[in-house]
Amino acid sequence: MTTLVPERPRPGTPRPYRFPTVVRRSVAGGEVVAADLPGHPLAVATLLLDAGAGRESLGTEGVAEVLAKAIEEGTTARSAAEYAVALESLGTDLAVSVDWDSFSATVQVPVASLPAAVELVAEAVRRPRLDPGDVARVRDDEAESLRQHWANPGPRADAVLRADLFGAGARHGRPLSGDPLSVAGLAPEDVSGFHAAWCGTAGTLLVAGDLSRVDLDALAAVAFAGGTTPAFERGGPLPAERRTTRRIVLVDRPGSVQSTLRLGHTAPHRAHPDYVPMTLGAIVLGGAFTSRLNHLLREVRGYTYGIRAEYGLSRRFGRFVVSAGVQTAVTAAALVDAVGEIARTQETGVTEPELAVARDWRAGQLSVGLQTPRAYASALSTLVVHDLPDDYHARLRESLLAATVEEVSAATAAHLTAEGITLVVEGDAAAIRADLEATGLGEVVDAAV
Amino acid sequence: MSETGYPWPIETTRLANGLRVIVSEDRSAPVVAVNLWYDVGSRHEPEGQTGFAHLFEHLMFEGSVNVPKTEHMRLVQGNGGSLNATTNPDRTNYFETLPAEHLELALWLEADRMGGLVPALVQETLDNQRDVVKNERRQRYENVPYGDAWLRLLPLLYPPGHPYHHPTIGSMEDLNAAELATFQAFHRTYYVPDNAVLTVAGDASPEDVFALAEKYFGGLPAGGARPPAPAGTLDGWAGPVSSVVTADVPAPRVYLAHRTFPYGTPEYDAVTVLATVLGNGRGSRLYRLLADGARVALPDTIAAYGVDLAHAPAPLIISATARPGVTAARLGAALAEVVDDIAAGGVTDEELSRAKALLETDWWSMVSTVDSRADLLSRYATQFGDPALVGTRLPGWLAVTRESLAAVAREVLRPEDRVTLVYEPSSEVLA
Repeated sequence: MTTLVPERPRPGTPRPYRFPTVVRRSVAGGEVVAADLPGHPLAVATLLLDAGAGRESLGTEGVAEVLAKAIEEGTTARSAAEYAVALESLGTDLAVSVDWDSFSATVQVPVASLPAAVELVAEAVRRPRLDPGDVARVRDDEAESLRQHWANPGPRADAVLRADLFGAGARHGRPLSGDPLSVAGLAPEDVSGFHAAWCGTAGTLLVAGDLSRVDLDALAAVAFAGGTTPAFERGGPLPAERRTTRRIVLVDRPGSVQSTLRLGHTAPHRAHPDYVPMTLGAIVLGGAFTSRLNHLLREVRGYTYGIRAEYGLSRRFGRFVVSAGVQTAVTAAALVDAVGEIARTQETGVTEPELAVARDWRAGQLSVGLQTPRAYASALSTLVVHDLPDDYHARLRESLLAATVEEVSAATAAHLTAEGITLVVEGDAAAIRADLEATGLGEVVDAAV
Repeated sequence: MSETGYPWPIETTRLANGLRVIVSEDRSAPVVAVNLWYDVGSRHEPEGQTGFAHLFEHLMFEGSVNVPKTEHMRLVQGNGGSLNATTNPDRTNYFETLPAEHLELALWLEADRMGGLVPALVQETLDNQRDVVKNERRQRYENVPYGDAWLRLLPLLYPPGHPYHHPTIGSMEDLNAAELATFQAFHRTYYVPDNAVLTVAGDASPEDVFALAEKYFGGLPAGGARPPAPAGTLDGWAGPVSSVVTADVPAPRVYLAHRTFPYGTPEYDAVTVLATVLGNGRGSRLYRLLADGARVALPDTIAAYGVDLAHAPAPLIISATARPGVTAARLGAALAEVVDDIAAGGVTDEELSRAKALLETDWWSMVSTVDSRADLLSRYATQFGDPALVGTRLPGWLAVTRESLAAVAREVLRPEDRVTLVYEPSSEVLA
């Protein structure tokens, strides 16, 4: 005989959420930003430079990413193989990452190995060999790697959407890592030139770990040595146009058993004052599992394994994107449903029960998501890249929990546009074109890729 | 070097109905992880019912006696938590991590679907989740280049009738044939307290958790007899096997696979270290010889890893994609040469210490979250009968010597036991 407890339990007493105290130091022309994690066996260090893809000039898309690979091809002090063995014998790889706003190199090691690991970070970032022959090979590998990656569904659709939103004449209208052709067209001097032009600032050293066992000044002196270029002007938000008519852009992928959807429009930059209500609105629409989009397209219709809506926001621009893979036969129906939910959210806003989920989820995830040194280092990076105050994470929790239905509904009305959204569909064009045209959602055009 | 890989306390109890409960207290963050392992996976599926354990996992989120459809997800996320579940050949796990004040909610939800799923399970839910799973299959396996490699490797590695012969995602035919009554029976058989382990890690005391476990799970009856998974045998299943697939892929790719030892054995620890020596990082042997040296493999595509299965010899998979102009045959021969060399000559001290350093960081990184700790404790209780054995894994890796690694490499990497899977592009690759 089974006995279940029918009543849902009440929550216990919440324990306070605490972000570690942020420690800041100015050393040797750069800045150290650190978070103390007492007793943790591992520590993370990231050298963060203002040398992201946003710094690339048109025609050289992907050069920062090629540089990210090339700095591991040997330094002025040792060969590529010697460098790899030295670093990996400390227990870490060199995680080099490029986004729109930054170029960063990260290591994660037992605390005692942090000084040696940071020396190796500095060696690769400050004094890479960048032999033209090696760089040409890395470029070729990266171009081939992109070509293979672009054989997956998604990258082409995303590139088409980006170009439609921002224009292929703007750097951010082209893919973050470039495309197979732009990378293949890079010269080794483009790569060394990018390094010389943008990687010479001291930058910021992020450290997350047991600070009682770490000499931040000594680490910084090593990381910033040779970083003598003055910091660059960052530039304000870029102007963002909005389409007034909706259109469907079709990317042909013959034989595809699913259609890949990328539906999007432009949005404000990351530091916009509407950040909290805007992103909460996106959770109601397509962030949580029980969001409007996932509920309808997955749980009611069974069209997809999952669909999500989110804002992608960087320092100077942003966009709103809905992503999903839907079964080929239901592509048009799925598109109609998705646009319907976006329009409904734009027009009528959110309800309190839905917002309550979004609010508590985001606030709770601040504690749940911040458990590892890497997660803390990444939170510190957010502070630095977007010029946010040290108590930002603590205050973010409060502003999430305080957001009202009116504020979030005002933000969805202001920042979503179902009329101007671009609907990129990557799938078997022969199988879906007529259905897409019959939806009446907008003109169907073929992508030029 | 640490004497244990698990320096946190572990307390255990067992309820009268057989449910094992494990608590690992850590007050450093106001977060708690709840994790359940059910000792049922795709290895238990009879012929004609492939994919059922995984499809069933989906049904567990669709409501139970006191939890209406869609409420489970809404309640966990709406109280700040993250959640998911996974199915593999060995087992099915369910987990959520929440702010600590919602521990009781998580236990209530888990107990309700353990004890009260069947009355809430309806045909409409099954039909909907069957469609979702079929879309999962399309998205993960069918619509991406090389996406079906795992589906192709398993039947080459394990003979018909072996519990690892078929993939967990199942076949479209079997999924289409799934009937409601089969799933009701599946729940009654396997989703019972004495076939499960409940672990709570993080901001909670053992006393509180044990009391709450009794309150929510204590009223569920123990299950009846459960049919064991087929034992399977590899006897007579030897000989090199090769399979060439011509498909819409961007470049030739080669997989080499070997059956090794079950996860949890000292020999499998050596396999884990061996895989790290071979394929993890730019200092790995495959990277240095095939990406840097002979330049036949595209650097980012090199991989070597063990699949941590515990109920039969687990696979070691080695793979790489060809650089432009390199044929699958040339790449395959180069991969085989590296593998044969390591089987014949073992590894150097430098290679061994590099691999151990990487594995040690990986381990501490993994156990830095309460979610991972809870999952590991559930695993060790389910598969080895004692959660405290989790502390032996890292020392086990660090205890591997050149000699023990060489012996294992010699035994598992024999060319006559090798499975080779080759992808050839169906259309001419454009330069």
